[in-house]
Amino acid sequence: MLIDKESRYDRQLRLWASTGQTNLENSHICLINATPTGSEILKNLVLPGIGEFTIIDNRRVTPQDLSGNFFLKRQDLNQVLADAVKANLSELNSEVCGHSINRSIISILSEESHQFWDQFNVVIVSDYVPQLELLKEILWNKKTPLLIVNTIGFYGSLNIIANEITVIETHDPSRLYDLRIDKPWPELQAFVNSIDLDSLDDTDHAHVPYIVIYIKALQTWKVDHNGSVPQNYHEKKLFRSYIEQLSRNINLEANFIEASNSIHRALQTTGIPISIQKLFEKVTAANESFDASTPIFWIFIKALKRFVEKNDNQLPLPGTLPDMASDTTSYLCLQTIYREKAWKDQELFTREVIKVLEEVGRSKEELNRDSITSFCKNSQMLYVTSGSKKLYSSSLIQELLNSSNDAENDPYNTLGIYFAILTYNLFIEKCNRSPTLKDLDLLEILFADNILNRSSVPSSVITTFRELLSHNTRHYHNINSLMGGIASQEVLKLATAQYTPLDNLFVFDGIRSVSEKWKI
Amino acid sequence: MSVATHSARDISSIESILRNIGPYNEVPDEYNADEAAEALRTTTVLVIGAGGLGCEILKNLALTGFKKIHVIDMDTIDVSNLNRQFLFRPKDVGHSKAEVAARFIQERIGDEELKITPYFGKIQDKPLEYYRQFGVIVCGLDSIEARRWINATVVSLVDSELNNLIPMVDGGTEGFRGQSRVILPTLTSCYECTLDLLSPKTTYPVCTIANTPRLPEHCIEFASVIEWPKHFPGRKFDADDPESVQWMYETALARAKLFNIQGVTKQLTLGVVKNIIPAIASTNAIIAASCCNEAFKIVTNTNPILNNYMMYAGDESIFTYTYAHSRRPNCPVCGNMSKKVIAKNWWTLDRFIEEISGKQEIQMSSPSLTTAEKSLYLRNPPNLEQATRPNLAKKFNTLVRAGDEVVITDPNLPISLRLTVEFTGPEVEPDDVNSSLM
Repeated sequence: MLIDKESRYDRQLRLWASTGQTNLENSHICLINATPTGSEILKNLVLPGIGEFTIIDNRRVTPQDLSGNFFLKRQDLNQVLADAVKANLSELNSEVCGHSINRSIISILSEESHQFWDQFNVVIVSDYVPQLELLKEILWNKKTPLLIVNTIGFYGSLNIIANEITVIETHDPSRLYDLRIDKPWPELQAFVNSIDLDSLDDTDHAHVPYIVIYIKALQTWKVDHNGSVPQNYHEKKLFRSYIEQLSRNINLEANFIEASNSIHRALQTTGIPISIQKLFEKVTAANESFDASTPIFWIFIKALKRFVEKNDNQLPLPGTLPDMASDTTSYLCLQTIYREKAWKDQELFTREVIKVLEEVGRSKEELNRDSITSFCKNSQMLYVTSGSKKLYSSSLIQELLNSSNDAENDPYNTLGIYFAILTYNLFIEKCNRSPTLKDLDLLEILFADNILNRSSVPSSVITTFRELLSHNTRHYHNINSLMGGIASQEVLKLATAQYTPLDNLFVFDGIRSVSEKWKI
Repeated sequence: MSVATHSARDISSIESILRNIGPYNEVPDEYNADEAAEALRTTTVLVIGAGGLGCEILKNLALTGFKKIHVIDMDTIDVSNLNRQFLFRPKDVGHSKAEVAARFIQERIGDEELKITPYFGKIQDKPLEYYRQFGVIVCGLDSIEARRWINATVVSLVDSELNNLIPMVDGGTEGFRGQSRVILPTLTSCYECTLDLLSPKTTYPVCTIANTPRLPEHCIEFASVIEWPKHFPGRKFDADDPESVQWMYETALARAKLFNIQGVTKQLTLGVVKNIIPAIASTNAIIAASCCNEAFKIVTNTNPILNNYMMYAGDESIFTYTYAHSRRPNCPVCGNMSKKVIAKNWWTLDRFIEEISGKQEIQMSSPSLTTAEKSLYLRNPPNLEQATRPNLAKKFNTLVRAGDEVVITDPNLPISLRLTVEFTGPEVEPDDVNSSLM
């Protein structure tokens, strides 16, 4: 049966569109350890159609693997684990290309050159792996994001280790529209001036879009207030009356009612958000280091900075309008005015990008129109974060100690879960086996000596250790599947380069069904 | 405690969870590992929905020791399900979701003790007695109406003397977001208590659609609400029929051209007329796993259960919010107080019904109304409908007095909603500029 991708992927294309899908189809994801959690992660990536995946694991299928992994069949018992999981996952989507490497991570790290890792866009480690430090180091230097997912009993944790993550299409849920009410450009001003409210008949008057109403009201306000816009709560409230005064009947005219209700749109000040100003500062600081290998994102930021300097400290106009009460003609006129200004800004921005590229000896051939358009549309909401390659920091330990002091009688400690998981893996590293309830004291000592560096462990942390050791299965499927879902969602965000990823530690407690996150 | 090893799939993956009593166990003195293992084997679980959530739920239950599962779904498999409903293959398109899912799980797990009973049909087909056999119900539904129906049914099964309530775990997703919750009928808030949490469906005023369209959505709504009934009187639009969809798309496109509006595409047309909600495998995995984790804890008593609502959002970092949603005293399903509503003095009964049925916390599509003394308007049977129809045009305040209780029922829901009516406003409707613009 022939299935077109548009129908098959319809429900996800509505989230990340064809640009996200293309990125996804060009990505190659690596999983180290074919655990149930790892298999669930890949399931959630094969279904929406990642390009390729590779599973690295040198074990054979045991009854315990079979007990908690849906992507193993009974006849896979004693077979090569990576091969079996790869084969069963491949059934889900014929578009996806799966690979399995039946070797230990130790042999790959010691025998392969670092270039081996170049083929992957994201690497995922599920549960314990030896030589994690070395793997982190290699991927950190290659700027390849590494996800570390752990599940034990009712607990799960996820680290994202990435030196820098940049997102253009953040799909900011607050949906602020950049309407420039306070800074109308000449074409917009001319349109507003062309509408004389007093001369309109009642029907037309009730169909004037609120953009026009706002600009008129704000200009009257400025005349009354020495050229300044409404500043404080009191003035903002007073400004509402300016809008209502323009109406012939504020209880009946739908456009004025809407204008009064959406007043925050009128009072938005046009300017550069602090988050974007910080990016400009980074560009200034790194001025020398722009070269042939600088990511295009930072080329764009440098060009954006110059654009802003030349354009009255304003970002490129996104050019999109919310719906508003209006007759069709006025709305479409406004739409055209905004769209044309957006195109013009994109043209000017493109010139700046080309100049920056030329300065560092790069060709303008690498530019494409869609990425410029998308960057300009999203230039208010760009997301950048710098990560850490550490699994914990002294401030995270301090936070653990503080949280234990704050709630002396609370037996629950979410951050304690994370440290319990770290210690659990440390135990495996040192003792070459998984700890059980009998090892509670030893685990406590390991934690106190190697991580905490002091002898007294808070009682809520000890309780958490006890819970962890009581239910020390790594194959409890509900938590495997839940953490698999969460980790795969982060991979989707990284692979599509859309939406805002986790920054950078997440912990889930399946006992209370609560989660928390921290930045290391 | 013995761990079954006779079949290839053992329960070693959950053995430590059942065997050891953890520090957070709320009933450590009564807990018994063998009983917990036995409870997993003998409890009959009902899974409602075999779609995105349902596939995940069935897999999770089967891998965590449950052996007796029923699954109900009225839908057949569509191509657009394949990006997340991992129990289905292209060859299964057109077949029953419940049946294909049950068969796939049984084959994959390969455990003779595991019995999954599918039912290809509606939950409303089954008698009340059918639902009594279940120890826990897990819902993965996309329909509000089906959720309200099962919720009201499960609440009605509670007999306080018998201590026989059936816990219900409910999940829902939309894009990168979702929620899971535990409902202990009559003890915690029920689905109906939280109806006002739902985000209202986007609607467009008729005058915008008819006179001042601005968005491509307005053109699609015009094709669907105004043009379709004109061209195909008496025929309901079928969003699964490609020819009907094509007609809708072309009609919307023509409308858009007339007004110079850009952006009508086939994808958008489908989205608007089918009210499509974006969906991906990972969100379903998260929510279904949370639901099954709760079902597992409910049945085994190994750890405390969610109290009682978890919201999840994954589009901007990862965010969860867990809280105890309180019961609504005037909930028409689990409460016993009537709800107060304000009616305008100038409203006719017809207008009252229109205003009431669209309310977020009421949402009834074909309500019938009665008071203690008389029937105000009944949809069925036809002779009573005919007899009560003249009331629709009468002024509402001539039919009931302030403080009277009105009972509203809907054939689609096993609920009777009690409203106490108060009146405000002038006797005559004030002039409305909007109505003159229509």
